Amino acid sequence: MSWTELLPALRAGDPLALSRLISRVENQGSEKVQIMKTVFAWTGKAYIVGLTGPPGAGKSTITNGLVELLAEKGLKVGVVCVDPSSPFSGGAFLGDRIRMTSLDAKPGVFIRSLASRGSLGGLSAAAKDVVQLLDAAGKDVVLIETVGMGQVGDEIKKLADTTVLVTVPGLGDGIQTFKAGIMEIADIFIVNKAEREGADETVRDLEMMLSEVEPKKWRPRVLKTCALRKEGLEELWESLQEHRRLLEQSGQWMAQRRNRANTILLENSKEHVLEKFQRELEKDELLLGMRRRVDEGSLDPYTAALFISEYFLANRT
Amino acid sequence: MSRKIKVLMAKLGLDIHWRGAVAVSRMLRDAGMEVVYLGNQFPEEIINAAIQEDADVVGLSTLGGNHAVLGPKVVRLLREKGMGDVLVLMGGVIPRDDMPALKKAGIAEVFGPETQIQEIVDFIHANLKKASAAS
Amino acid sequence: MTDEYYTESGIPVKLLYAPEDIAGYDYEKEIGFPGKPPFVRGVYPNMYRGRLFTVRQLAGFGAPEDCNERIKFLLRHGATGVNIVFDLPTVRGYDSDSPEAEGNVGACGVAIDSLEDMERLFQDVPIDQVSASVVTHLPSTTVVLMAMYMVMAENRGISFDKLSGTNQNDFIMETTVGSGPEILPPQASFRLQCDAIEFATKNLPRWNPVSYNGYNLREAGTNAVQEVAVAIANAIATAEELIRRGLPVDSFARRMSFFWDLCNDFFEEIAKCRASRKVFHEVMKERFHAQDERSCHMRFHVQTAGITLTAVEPFNNVARSAIQGLAAIFGGAQSLHIDSYDEAYSAPTEQAALISLRTQQILQVETNVVNTVDPLAGSYFVEYLTMEMARRIRDYVAEIEKRGGLVACVESGWLHREISNYAYQQQKAIESGERKIVGVNYLKADHAHSGEIEVFRYPDTEERQKAKLRALRERRDGKRLAEAMISLRTGCKTNENIMPHVMEAVRANATLGEIEKVFREEFGLWQFPLA
Repeated sequence: MSWTELLPALRAGDPLALSRLISRVENQGSEKVQIMKTVFAWTGKAYIVGLTGPPGAGKSTITNGLVELLAEKGLKVGVVCVDPSSPFSGGAFLGDRIRMTSLDAKPGVFIRSLASRGSLGGLSAAAKDVVQLLDAAGKDVVLIETVGMGQVGDEIKKLADTTVLVTVPGLGDGIQTFKAGIMEIADIFIVNKAEREGADETVRDLEMMLSEVEPKKWRPRVLKTCALRKEGLEELWESLQEHRRLLEQSGQWMAQRRNRANTILLENSKEHVLEKFQRELEKDELLLGMRRRVDEGSLDPYTAALFISEYFLANRT
Repeated sequence: MSRKIKVLMAKLGLDIHWRGAVAVSRMLRDAGMEVVYLGNQFPEEIINAAIQEDADVVGLSTLGGNHAVLGPKVVRLLREKGMGDVLVLMGGVIPRDDMPALKKAGIAEVFGPETQIQEIVDFIHANLKKASAAS
Repeated sequence: MTDEYYTESGIPVKLLYAPEDIAGYDYEKEIGFPGKPPFVRGVYPNMYRGRLFTVRQLAGFGAPEDCNERIKFLLRHGATGVNIVFDLPTVRGYDSDSPEAEGNVGACGVAIDSLEDMERLFQDVPIDQVSASVVTHLPSTTVVLMAMYMVMAENRGISFDKLSGTNQNDFIMETTVGSGPEILPPQASFRLQCDAIEFATKNLPRWNPVSYNGYNLREAGTNAVQEVAVAIANAIATAEELIRRGLPVDSFARRMSFFWDLCNDFFEEIAKCRASRKVFHEVMKERFHAQDERSCHMRFHVQTAGITLTAVEPFNNVARSAIQGLAAIFGGAQSLHIDSYDEAYSAPTEQAALISLRTQQILQVETNVVNTVDPLAGSYFVEYLTMEMARRIRDYVAEIEKRGGLVACVESGWLHREISNYAYQQQKAIESGERKIVGVNYLKADHAHSGEIEVFRYPDTEERQKAKLRALRERRDGKRLAEAMISLRTGCKTNENIMPHVMEAVRANATLGEIEKVFREEFGLWQFPLA
């Protein structure tokens, strides 16, 4: 079936059409840009929440509980779970869904597992397109769940309206490492497994660190949950909505959508140029010649690279 | 970025033996596939997940003797939902007498306990039916 | 060809062992006589001359009334105990009429839904005289099936001190070894495990409320060291918890029993059995200061390794199992189950079950291996390997403790990753041919002759069970049931022992599935972290 035929079904809420469109976009097929530019007009309505944190903190369980709650409220929810691809084989073992099995039968809920596919930051390159598609499919809320390490925090922040950081008591040094940048990006902190010893202490530590961060309009919340028993999720949803209201009132909501469009503009331009460059480069006589000379040792690779890029750019103009 | 084969791996029903399904999943990952591990599931949930993940292959693992009822049910539901082109494979302990009925019901292949995982990889590559997977 | 040799768990093996390999070990201190600490040579001084290992074969199929016939048959033919296995829905806590049970009712075990089913199962069976091994893997179903057994005794006017039996009751089985659609969190399962042990310690003097199941962990994918270390780590966690609850170590330690899997690496398996006794003695004596020597006795049941059996040329399995059974005797097992050659792929046929029984009898009376105690003691290799196994078991226990103890290791998914990694490595070793399996990847069978697989099916079991459940639900006293279920819920929320609450629910005719549902709702559901 062609992508144009899938679009009406997507708008009508057909999960299979949504799923097949996601595949085409994720696989960077030739129709990707066509699809994305058509659905762009339908995006911007979904409330996008990023959920990140160390492995084992209970992100998937929280996602499961929260989505269940939202589904009961009659909201349509999309979930994107990102796991790393193997750098060796390019394959992936995606295991988050195992904790979301109670959601499979909930109407309006759509969960998709994504492999990071070589994206350095850890967030799948396709994640933002998938979020757009879920948005276009009429989801009220889209949750992105990913292990929060390295650059993922920044990527999530760019994508999400609200960023939630999940931690557990007793990580000890874990909280210290949050200082390095991550305190700034989270709007809501969750101390999960709050029935455990040290939960209150972790909450105190977080509050303390937050007090050292420069005050902003939104004072990040610190919440306790016990996701296995579905405790604290209603409060999480209240805080999320509170944050959303603030975004809307302050104009941030629209600004975030403009930022996202800008990011797409920039990144896609880069991609297109690179793609073109690469395609031409591979069959370029000049490159082959340079390669030969580097192989022979008559030229260093740095000089050769400069030479090629300058030559390429000169020929563009 | 090239197309990846997406595999949905599930343990059928109450069967408790997860190790084989996980080992196969990891080796399919090593063969460059993206494997969504679902854990223990019943046919309805497996279908929902297969739709949402747009799976090319559904792997059903069972050593619990429930294959005869639940396996064909998965194929039937997939067809009803417009996913008849998904390759459905079974693995585990399955009596030889039951195999013809499973094949007839649309299970593409049944892999026994001594299968080399390379055989599964080769089978998937040779038999992927979904048009989108071929591109 | 490499000239490096290793045991299955990775211990390097030399060409030759000599006195200097065990020169550092003091016989009396490190090995000792049979029946004397540290019990390397066995927990009893006269071992098999005193009592031969028990021949245990499993029974359990269909509806309780079908299985009752089998139990009575076995008892009429001289059995003194019965080993009951349950069907998958019962093991995982679902009633026969729940959608999850479809296709599994009464297959591979007997279906038990209610107190009445338990009473049907043991109808006309003198439960004050026979020992019932009730193979309840999971703590969450152990507490229910054990409660049913006790309430049945109450109804017959039999006092609890007359009841004798064994449960498996191992939270590792519930949370690590087996997967399932709905799993209780490790902490909750561990609590129920300890509740059952605590209750038995106080009320059932002849009951063995736990059998730490190394077997299934090994089958799931671990080596011999991990198998024993995890079981001992569980015993440590249990002891700490029960002591915290105020029980003296000598009141419960002797009720702990163990269950090992004997695979093909002959000497390593023997060394494992001997080493496990030594480490357990150390733990109980040095760490928990047990005074009663019986608290330091590691008693274990052995089953030969299902995972080593092949579906290709199944008769080869008779040889594998016989060798593993021999290792169990050299290891000093208290009881033995020899797998049937077709056990890897089906419920045993009558012929296969008979051969496995005959194998045990051949070992007992024809080979003379049981006539002297621990005959391999003093072998330079076996003693060296025993000490090395003990050292590695201690190290692995220490590793678990370093990670916060066994419950934490399960919660974090560490133990699952250990299993998954081992299984993955093994599979790769088999595919590469590094690990050889005769007939499978080594001297492959010409005509891959697989055994005929027979599966017993009881088509009407499900219907019969459903009908009984319908009738029970209509008949029972709704008010009493509701009260009992509320008290059960309250019990889950508090720290008190759950057993009295479960017993009350059982008396009120709550079904197994209904009680489990309360556990799931109160404790929450959990899935192990895998990737």
